[in-house]
Amino acid sequence: MKLFQCLLVASLTCGSGFSQEVISYLNYIRQFQTPSGVVFDASNSVGQSGSMLSPLPIQKNGARFELWTIQSSSVSGVSEYLLSSSYVASYIPTASLTLSSSDTTSPVPRTRVDQPFYVTYTIGGLLSGATDPDASKAVTYQHHVQSYGPGGTGANLDRTQAILYREEKIEKNATYNQTFTITSIPRDGFSSATKIRGEERFTIRSLPDDRDGYHVDSLIIDSKTIQIWPVADGSISGITNGQKVRYSVPQLTLTLNDLYPFSTTYLQAYKGNPVLGTTGAIISGSQLVINDSVPNSRTLVVSNYGADLADDGTWTMELITKTPFGTDRLAYVTFELDRTMKVNGTVTTSE
Amino acid sequence: MKPWIAFSLLGLLPVAAEPPMRDATTHEELELRYRKAMQEEAMRKANAPAPQVDPAKKPAPAKPAEPAKPPTLLGQSDIICFNGVATIVPKRAILQSPQNLASRLQYQAGAKLVGWKDFYELNRAWITTVEVSEEQAQGDSPLAEDTQKKVVKSTQLVVATFKGGPISVLPLKTPPPEGNASAKSPQQTPSKP
Repeated sequence: MKLFQCLLVASLTCGSGFSQEVISYLNYIRQFQTPSGVVFDASNSVGQSGSMLSPLPIQKNGARFELWTIQSSSVSGVSEYLLSSSYVASYIPTASLTLSSSDTTSPVPRTRVDQPFYVTYTIGGLLSGATDPDASKAVTYQHHVQSYGPGGTGANLDRTQAILYREEKIEKNATYNQTFTITSIPRDGFSSATKIRGEERFTIRSLPDDRDGYHVDSLIIDSKTIQIWPVADGSISGITNGQKVRYSVPQLTLTLNDLYPFSTTYLQAYKGNPVLGTTGAIISGSQLVINDSVPNSRTLVVSNYGADLADDGTWTMELITKTPFGTDRLAYVTFELDRTMKVNGTVTTSE
Repeated sequence: MKPWIAFSLLGLLPVAAEPPMRDATTHEELELRYRKAMQEEAMRKANAPAPQVDPAKKPAPAKPAEPAKPPTLLGQSDIICFNGVATIVPKRAILQSPQNLASRLQYQAGAKLVGWKDFYELNRAWITTVEVSEEQAQGDSPLAEDTQKKVVKSTQLVVATFKGGPISVLPLKTPPPEGNASAKSPQQTPSKP
């Protein structure tokens, strides 16, 4: 109950000082007929999940489908994300790509720069007969990376500037699994490897196809993108290591940078020297809950928290952040608390 | 965000066994991991089998690495915006847009994006639709003559639809017969500001 109350206070406190960004998402499905180029908007009702028959029939040269989501933000405007793309035709191979990480909280796949992510793709329908079209015998696997730059969020990103990191031809029907323990986004411009942010895009493309007088360019059969966000950092100022705190506790300033888009951050305190993994009392007014599409940086001022430090003695305060990847300690400080008032005096009597 | 929603976020975190608390990853730790990954990648490339060469096949000419050209939805669409609400339709879906409605084809900052169906419901007073067939959309056959006349003379924004969804209409592949030459086909010269 105390945790709930603390969160209630923090949410109200944090909400009062900042204008709330309003974000909404709208999903679109587009069908592109090949080779005619007719484009149909099939978005009348694209919910969180579902299925529907293709409104336009698939001609022999196939059709490409794209699933987009557009984010409308009251602060940063409109940003579009290609969630999936698929090209289907009578003899074009099939491909299914999935990206995953420990963060399952967002419709747009994302992870943190120090965390792994996984790519699985299944290729089917590849032919190998002597008379089979070339476009039916292989697909192209591509891996693009693109940095958002320091502080970037990917809004209005020019994705034509993405770097082709790896390209391979696949000629065998199979399921392929890849684990990426580290991002391939270039470090240029970032002060630290922990602050890299950007996106990695994986694509399976058909080969160019020339048949029956039609030319069809290499098209995306499936494509998925994962966002990479930085590791948070934080500091506690207003109190120093080893400081002796007398009577009233000092005001603290918590500087929080790059809090993960889905995270809960707070200051906790426990008696004794620092021991990583200790659960302490959460300091009133120090909690911050983030549920966003991008990392957040904030400054919190915490004061009048003396009641959270029950006794005098050695105390350790730790700045903690909880994310889908676990619990991280961002900073800590140890101090002496001595609120005992000693009075030196003498008692005399006189008659 | 309402506090009770904020509280319940903690409950939405995965319930699998949580890893023990740790200090936040440092630059040095990540650099170490990066160097190890690069070494493994170099070994993988060094050990990868040489590509099989079919002596009967002519080698394909060397080509430059394919530039990344991802599509953009907004780049492939026209925006219709009015009264704080906007929607997007495929390019070439708008068959007629009178001059006095030109300002409604530009996005106004802060407008809420909605789907076509919802936008059309709100703006029926100045938008009309023309249902086309697949052949008409592909430019294989023209719109009916009276439809063409209605579109050209319309004072409303005219959007081509297929089964109720906006669809692009390509130019006619062959010009209309001599007798209809005087009718301005919206498929050949879509009228847009």
